[in-house]
Amino acid sequence: MTNSEFPNDELPMHCAISSFVIRFSIFVILSSPLCVFGHGAEFLSAKLTLLPDAEVLLEVTADFGGNPLIADEIVAKEALIDPVRLRRNESLVPLAELSPASITQHDNWAEFAPASYLPSDTEAQPHTLITAAWRWRSEEPEIVFEMPKGKLHDVLLWTRDQTNPDAPTKWMLLLAGDRSKAISIHWPPWWQRWQTVMASSVFVLALGYFVSRNFTLRQRTL
Amino acid sequence: MNNRILSLLSVMALASTAAAEVAYEFVPNFITPPSGKETIGNGHGEIAVDSAGNIYVSVQEANAGIQVYGKDGKFIKALALPPSLHGFVIRKYGDGEHLYAAVLGEQKVIKCSLDGAVVMTIPTGEFPADKIGKGLKLTNCDVAPNGDIYVVDGYGQSHIFVFSAEGKFKSVFGGPGEPLKLANAHKVFIDRRFEPARVMICDRGHKRMLHTQLDGTFISEIATEMRNPSSASFHGDLMCVAEIAGNVSVWDKDNKRVADLGTSPKPTNTPGIEPKDWQQGVVTSPHGITFDNDGNILETEWNKWGRILRWNLKK
Repeated sequence: MTNSEFPNDELPMHCAISSFVIRFSIFVILSSPLCVFGHGAEFLSAKLTLLPDAEVLLEVTADFGGNPLIADEIVAKEALIDPVRLRRNESLVPLAELSPASITQHDNWAEFAPASYLPSDTEAQPHTLITAAWRWRSEEPEIVFEMPKGKLHDVLLWTRDQTNPDAPTKWMLLLAGDRSKAISIHWPPWWQRWQTVMASSVFVLALGYFVSRNFTLRQRTL
Repeated sequence: MNNRILSLLSVMALASTAAAEVAYEFVPNFITPPSGKETIGNGHGEIAVDSAGNIYVSVQEANAGIQVYGKDGKFIKALALPPSLHGFVIRKYGDGEHLYAAVLGEQKVIKCSLDGAVVMTIPTGEFPADKIGKGLKLTNCDVAPNGDIYVVDGYGQSHIFVFSAEGKFKSVFGGPGEPLKLANAHKVFIDRRFEPARVMICDRGHKRMLHTQLDGTFISEIATEMRNPSSASFHGDLMCVAEIAGNVSVWDKDNKRVADLGTSPKPTNTPGIEPKDWQQGVVTSPHGITFDNDGNILETEWNKWGRILRWNLKK
């Protein structure tokens, strides 16, 4: 359809719409720089989910769209190799020794940072996020994370309790050299642990009995 | 007799030590926001004081990027400037007192009169193309004694650009590579406590401050393991520093920390702490800072609602 196909009385309306679209586009172009560059998230967001039965899920997210310390995807992935360590007695255990990491790329900040740390509406820069996740069963009833000295990237550690989703989110910002508070995990109650021990013991005894009986029978047969 | 002289000397030594110490007291609710507002508005900028003692603070409000307050903290007016004046200083050079600002959202530097009239712009095109990367993210500027303007790409590649007083490009140093290896060099300042003046760099990513000569030659680290230094100001032999992870510190000329103010019990770095959770005298995320003409400290925070804190020098 060309302009010549418009009836004469529709031309002013068409022109008005075109004019509005052009003006609106100019407004958007001119005003967008005002809200594109924000402060960014100058930290790695470490979301700790406490699962039943002493399981722990740690999802660490790097933003290479808004973090001035992370220039691109390669730097983001480097930052996620060893972002924080687990303190076990006197040693610091890299996350890679607890479980292999699974890596995903997305743009869903709201799922991976606590509400008070989400960018403000005037800082609506695009986020390009990479999340590395580690999942393991804890050997201790409390866990402590620690940032080795010299680490470039601060880590915002925040905790969600999957068995109590309405509980307020707790967060702490860990700078290089900082140690988190002890975080209680869902350690199975003593009777559950004793049940496991008892069941294992019964199984071992039954197996022993079965083996010795067969061995004895074979001896007799021979 | 000798003992008396020794005692007298001891007392004099103690007195001189006490005189060298500095102490501050927090002034609650110092700022009176503009009429109809409970807080000053979305803050992600800087604060400065002119020679008359008026206080200038940047907020992210369209066409009203600077608010001006009197010495008493009462709102006077807003200046029709861009909303992303992330860093600015007020300096007297040549043709009088001006406000020099890095406009983060528009990739340029402006020089304005104190009533907000822009008298000079350093546009993106004046920066060397090979240092712009994915785009400039200018975070602050300052003026050297000879009028040169130092500008830092703090949210970009941390290069420090030097322009003449007329806004013509002269040189560049810093950046992520050797020898300075900067990361998120959030703000730079000309440290006139020294002769010749030095460049003071808030290398926030590395949690340190450092000095260079005006040509960018490394002099020394001032401090390391800080709570992410974001901004600074000078008065006499002192320097105050806004540490965004929750502290305000004061340093002497020998790089000795002489005071900590408003320290947050736990590190923080967020604009999302609501007014209901603010505690008197405790900072959230300090982003800009200045001494006034009497050595009192004013600090502005990275905060969606906008917050200013003040500590008065105890005399």
